[in-house]
Amino acid sequence: MSKFLLFLGCTIPTKQYAYEISARNVLPRLGIELVDFPEAGCCGFPLKGINKKGWVYMSARILSIAAKKGLPILALCNGCDTSLRKIKDILKHDEVLRNEIAELLSREGIKLNFNVDVYHTIEVLHDFVGIERIKALVVRPLKGIKIASYPGCHMLRPTDIPRPEPSGEPKKFDSILSALGAEVGYYPDKGGCCGATMLPYSPKHAFKLTAIKIKNMKDFGFQATTTSCPYCMEMLDSKQDAIRAEVGDDTLSIPVFYITQLVGLAIGLKPKELGLNLNLSPVEEVLERLGVSIYE
Amino acid sequence: MSDVRVGVYICHCGKNIAGVINPAKVAEFASKLPNVVVARDYMYMCSSPGQSLIEEDIKKYNLNRVIVAACSPRMHEPTFQAVLKRAGLNPWLLQMVNIREHDTWVHEDTPDKAEEKAKELVAAAVARATHLYEITTEKAPVVKSALVIGGGIAGIRAALDLANAGIKVYLVEKRQSIGGRMAQLDKTFPTLDCSKCILTPLMVDVARHPNIEIYAYSEVVDVSGSAGDFKVKIKLKPTYVDWSKCTGCGTCVEKCPGKAPNEFDEGLGFRKAIYFEFAQAVPRRPVIDPRYCLWFTKGICRVCSKVCPVGAIDYEQKERYVELNVGAIVVAIGYEIYDMTKMVEYGYGKFKNVITGLQLERLSDADGPTKGRIVRLSDGREPKTVAIVLCAGSRDEKHVRYCCRFGCAAALKHVYYVKHAVPDAKVLVLYTDVRAFGKGFEEFYQKVRSWDDVYFIRGRPAEIFEDKDGSLIFDVYDSNTNQLINVRADLVVLESAVVPPKDWEPLRRLLKVSCDPGGFALELHPKLRPFETTADGIFLAGTIQGPKDIPDTVAHAAAAAAVAIGFLLKGYVESVPYLATVNEDLCSGCGLCVSVCPYDAITIEEKEGRRVAKVNVIRCKGCGACAATCPSGAMQQHYFTDTQILSEVSTLAGGAK
Amino acid sequence: MSLDVRLIDKKILEDVIELVKPHTPQYCYQCAKCTSACSTSKVLPEYKPHLIVALTRLGLIKELLNSGIIWACSECWKCAEYCPQNVAPVEVVIALKNLAIAMGYKPPEDLKVMAKNVIELGYISPPIEVLSKEFEMYSRTTLELPPLIKPYINTEAVNNLRKLFGGVL
Repeated sequence: MSKFLLFLGCTIPTKQYAYEISARNVLPRLGIELVDFPEAGCCGFPLKGINKKGWVYMSARILSIAAKKGLPILALCNGCDTSLRKIKDILKHDEVLRNEIAELLSREGIKLNFNVDVYHTIEVLHDFVGIERIKALVVRPLKGIKIASYPGCHMLRPTDIPRPEPSGEPKKFDSILSALGAEVGYYPDKGGCCGATMLPYSPKHAFKLTAIKIKNMKDFGFQATTTSCPYCMEMLDSKQDAIRAEVGDDTLSIPVFYITQLVGLAIGLKPKELGLNLNLSPVEEVLERLGVSIYE
Repeated sequence: MSDVRVGVYICHCGKNIAGVINPAKVAEFASKLPNVVVARDYMYMCSSPGQSLIEEDIKKYNLNRVIVAACSPRMHEPTFQAVLKRAGLNPWLLQMVNIREHDTWVHEDTPDKAEEKAKELVAAAVARATHLYEITTEKAPVVKSALVIGGGIAGIRAALDLANAGIKVYLVEKRQSIGGRMAQLDKTFPTLDCSKCILTPLMVDVARHPNIEIYAYSEVVDVSGSAGDFKVKIKLKPTYVDWSKCTGCGTCVEKCPGKAPNEFDEGLGFRKAIYFEFAQAVPRRPVIDPRYCLWFTKGICRVCSKVCPVGAIDYEQKERYVELNVGAIVVAIGYEIYDMTKMVEYGYGKFKNVITGLQLERLSDADGPTKGRIVRLSDGREPKTVAIVLCAGSRDEKHVRYCCRFGCAAALKHVYYVKHAVPDAKVLVLYTDVRAFGKGFEEFYQKVRSWDDVYFIRGRPAEIFEDKDGSLIFDVYDSNTNQLINVRADLVVLESAVVPPKDWEPLRRLLKVSCDPGGFALELHPKLRPFETTADGIFLAGTIQGPKDIPDTVAHAAAAAAVAIGFLLKGYVESVPYLATVNEDLCSGCGLCVSVCPYDAITIEEKEGRRVAKVNVIRCKGCGACAATCPSGAMQQHYFTDTQILSEVSTLAGGAK
Repeated sequence: MSLDVRLIDKKILEDVIELVKPHTPQYCYQCAKCTSACSTSKVLPEYKPHLIVALTRLGLIKELLNSGIIWACSECWKCAEYCPQNVAPVEVVIALKNLAIAMGYKPPEDLKVMAKNVIELGYISPPIEVLSKEFEMYSRTTLELPPLIKPYINTEAVNNLRKLFGGVL
């Protein structure tokens, strides 16, 4: 399997451009064909608190449109991946809701069909491209750099639906990083929460939560961290200033990358091709060690 | 049917029946039915005068069928069958009709209809009675010996009780020594007796008992036959030591250079490639583990055979098989603890200082890998803060649904171990409910609550993390003080869930013992018959039937032995009266009956050039599955033949006249 | 505060049970493993999932909804993952959120804006320009990414969304 509908969700196409840039430049070089899916829109995950049926409707819509195209979905965002898979599970078991959603979609002229495979970036890299293939393409190993994988809540949980990392630990994620030549390791609460969903309620508290993660990574000697979720990236990368200010700790500074950016660096792509100039965290620290300038 | 003479008796059962219907009217109705010679009603049919009434009538009227319309046969069928026997009639010429549980107790609001129903039921019974015939049961002798599978405290207790009753016992144990889990414990609650001190005398009693033969390092591989006459095949695994020559001196173990993980110590520490299971092993004979022996793996060494003073080492030893013939089997194979690596959140298996309660027992045991010192496994230092987590995996829909029963008491005991070994240690007991139900438990719990630096926190930790120095760091919410507590512990002890032995399925199927949803052996009745199974002659002893502590295990095992003794000393087994029987003229040998029989009681045989079904009268339990399946009607069931049942049905369909 | 038993409202629990099927909040035995795990609780101690479940079981949610604290849930799903009785507090909280909206409570302002944007634009926020390391502003166009189209191109879809989410606007 190597052809996927590229499902971007909301945050990536409207704000977190680096993920889209790096994915579009890196994945095809690994043999993954990406087909644009612009009519998809929001998966509804952030709105489940307002109306559950609305959320189910929005994800069911995306699944049904994809089903018509006959291609599997690659969801770049952890939240979108969880959302689509959860809706598949909900619709499979709840006949009443299934009929209600089918009715709503039929008004739009869409036939409900959730028989579509959904995959996430980490799965595509680990299971479809494969570790051996990645290793073979590495020309600039991330040698000597200790990188903390940050899987994020929705890559790991809930395990009653298929997850990219089914064991509750980011084993695939770490294998990919090792294949790129980086050093991986343990730090407390690796599967912890970045706090992004708390932003509407109280940004202060959200920042406090992210701060705990960054502190753990620094305490355990990591020089950089990487994630596959635009929400997590938003907190870890874009909000580092605010986090430092909130907890009053200036040492909480760490380079943050998208996993696709790291793969791109390792296989020899230039920073501009990976959107690295859009990362707000001090990624130059790592680039310097690799002998790469961020302006390339 | 020539000269069928039926007596019908309608019971009032006090007001139970007479309060709804008029028994006299039913009797009057019955008296007019075909073949009925006498019909009466009486206040309490099961009472002495009531029974005499029937007995006298049988003699006076020369009755050869008796109908008693009263309560459920489960109440009084044996009572009235005894009456028939006393009067010289075959007990299976009795037919009971249930006009209480099936009629007056459920139709109180419609007494008229209830009376009609009673009449219809009696009419149907009278029709059936015409087709009843005498049934005799067969007896088969019982072999006066027993097999006990499992040499833990349950198997030991059962074996001793059976042997003391004069029964020959074969005790089969898959490990190299008997003793089981109790040998792994340091102390037992609430008395804090040294576990091995109370266990080993019993182990020696077993070894010395003239009626008990121990097969250690052996397993049951085949079971056939039926209750009272089982044929069992035992595999004696190769120990590579001639146990008949070996004196147990232990020189081989001392000199062996090989190293293997120590299963008895729950993976803590090492043992040799040739080893005793533990110092007080019975039988005290070593075993070579070929996976770690240098001779078996690399073709070198052989030090053991060089130093053995009696030349007992035998690298060429092969497995042997023994066939035993026993009358009863007691299953006493014990329990295992849940694989805590499955609870990823607790870090067991990843973090060195997270251990199970059983591992703590090994640490605390003076004979254990640390000679009784309780230490952090990461650096061998004394723990200053120990967190004991109750219900690790238990009462958990995602892991083990049920309660482990002894975890709470074990945790209290573990507090004692830690405070005794490290008096200034802080101990946190992280509990949800403390179930200290047994004799002496509440007093023990009270004592522990009062100890210095012991804190009971009502909360369950979710995730345990490790700090760089091997300490465990985690949060736990205390709902007693309503706050989140951050814990830094040197050692975390998980009181783990209890599960049945993971590889007991093949044995279970051989014995035809069912299992409950937890995978434990299914008892015949959870309240009244917890040590018997639906398989005749097979009894359950100990935790294989469900988690228990030692006193309950011993009581359970003794009870199983008592019932087994009764079974064996009776001397015979009797076939059930409602047996399946084959009309060989109609049988085509299709074998459908064989495929549905749950008791393996039917075989297809060659007889005069034809294939016919044959029923083993001792194995048959009269379930009726074969009779229902048989396409030709060749298979019939005594007391439930097609003719008998259909006569009832057609009478009911026609209505009472 | 003493509880007048007549104030216990079992309908709340019944409604929640229906919304969270197949999870089982009625089986909760208050082990507090959820609160031990809870990401939000670590930075906001007043937020306790086990307490929210206990209050829901008695139907005593008025103060809870008035405080608005249910919107603090970080939806990290640890509580659901570790709960031994399949209570899944996060699902209970989501159900309470839905019930609250239906009762007329308003969610945090940012969520209202997200709902509005989804109905009007198809995304929770409009595309923005971002500042790069070189202090230049970039948009999709200047980054040479394919243009964004509005996903909900037919009015029926917009109608559906308005009906489903319109309650908060």
